[in-house]
Amino acid sequence: MESYQLPQFPAHLSCVHAALYTDVSDADLLRKRLITASTAEGVDGERERDALNFSFIEARLVWLFSITSVNHMRTAVYQALLAASQDSLRTKTVHSEIIWALNPTNNISEAMRRYGVSDTTTALIAVRIAGPEVLATSVEGDMDAVIKGTKASFSALPALTDWAAVKKYHKLGNEAAVRDAKNDLEREHAVVDSIVTSSVAMKSVMA
Amino acid sequence: MASSSLTLISTSTLISQGAEAKVYKAHLTAAPSEPLVLLKHRFHKGYRHPTLDASLTRTRVAGEARALLKCLRSGVNVPGVRMVDAAEGVLGIDWIDGNSVRKLLPGGAGEEDEATSSEDEEPDPVDLLHEYDISVGVLGQLIGQEIAKMHLADVIHGDLTTSNMMLRHPASFKSRHSTLRTELVLIDFGLSYHSSLVEDKAVDLYVLERAFSSTHPDSEPLFASVLKAYELRMGKEWAAIGRRLDDVRLRGRKRSMVG
Repeated sequence: MESYQLPQFPAHLSCVHAALYTDVSDADLLRKRLITASTAEGVDGERERDALNFSFIEARLVWLFSITSVNHMRTAVYQALLAASQDSLRTKTVHSEIIWALNPTNNISEAMRRYGVSDTTTALIAVRIAGPEVLATSVEGDMDAVIKGTKASFSALPALTDWAAVKKYHKLGNEAAVRDAKNDLEREHAVVDSIVTSSVAMKSVMA
Repeated sequence: MASSSLTLISTSTLISQGAEAKVYKAHLTAAPSEPLVLLKHRFHKGYRHPTLDASLTRTRVAGEARALLKCLRSGVNVPGVRMVDAAEGVLGIDWIDGNSVRKLLPGGAGEEDEATSSEDEEPDPVDLLHEYDISVGVLGQLIGQEIAKMHLADVIHGDLTTSNMMLRHPASFKSRHSTLRTELVLIDFGLSYHSSLVEDKAVDLYVLERAFSSTHPDSEPLFASVLKAYELRMGKEWAAIGRRLDDVRLRGRKRSMVG
């Protein structure tokens, strides 16, 4: 798990914890649990929502190979935090905002479908935004309790990324930059990563 | 509650200031592997009505970010966008480790930042070019190629000068070419706009020609190599732009308003 601080944000938004899980076997259950939790009422509903208070990002679509690429996720987190601190969230929570920020369009359910957890997900990233009073170890324990899978280092990601889907979602197939790099896979991935990361960063002013 | 972007700026290092914006060097997060970013803050202008100020700032930040993304998608070397806070007028882009072309050519050093030149002796441009392992001719080619790629994407820079071009330092850059150890990056798209007009492209080149001749003595051969590479990359679009460039040279940047 990686944890980092953003001291410029209000305390309750200032710590980010993220972990990558591979070989996830209970994605369908996880998704059902998320849906029931969000609709459940009363004390049980509250408790269930607390237990699942994470973003689950479908890992296939996020590339985190070198330092530049942890950036894709971090950039989405940053823009979500910025929106939360300015009371301009487009979705209900800062966690769902992260998933929304990853998708180039304004359609929330499309973003959830593409970048959220699905029944067939086998690799995912869990992200938790918290205040400094929440210990990294307790977040990690909470994640482990919810997700059945193997925790992996972020360096394992490039092999998991579905590059064709990323290119399709961001309509990169015909862009000059991508066409120029098509004979060199490593370079093409770097180019796609840089375009996609920049798109995430500037989503708020794209329209 | 203080804005998070302003808090971030208050912990960053000021690099330079113009009439429109201040530029800072910063880390977005406290993560150990976090790369540097450059923050461009379009600060409040007290002389404008607050409503107008906010809307101008927002439009300009958005415009600059969009031009950068358009360039990225078209394969022009520009810094990637790392964060946008349109409400505060802050744009965060990738930090580029290197020097501006202005500093690398004779005549460009000093002048612009007199404050720093007193601290330590400015390195000689010739030595610096040696450090980047690049000849003046090749530098001209790189400049021509990047501008051509940008114009082919119908982006007009609006302020092409040698200060707005940087060479990446070989130490921080892994080149794909065996002979070239650096790359040219275009920066500052604050005055850029979208246009496919021959006139706008020709004027863009003319502005650069004037910038060359006014800051760097004896730079005619260099500008010739810029144009040569530009011509090669533009292909059949060059003929019209070349002809228009000759017209612009005769009349200047502004079209005649007579009639």
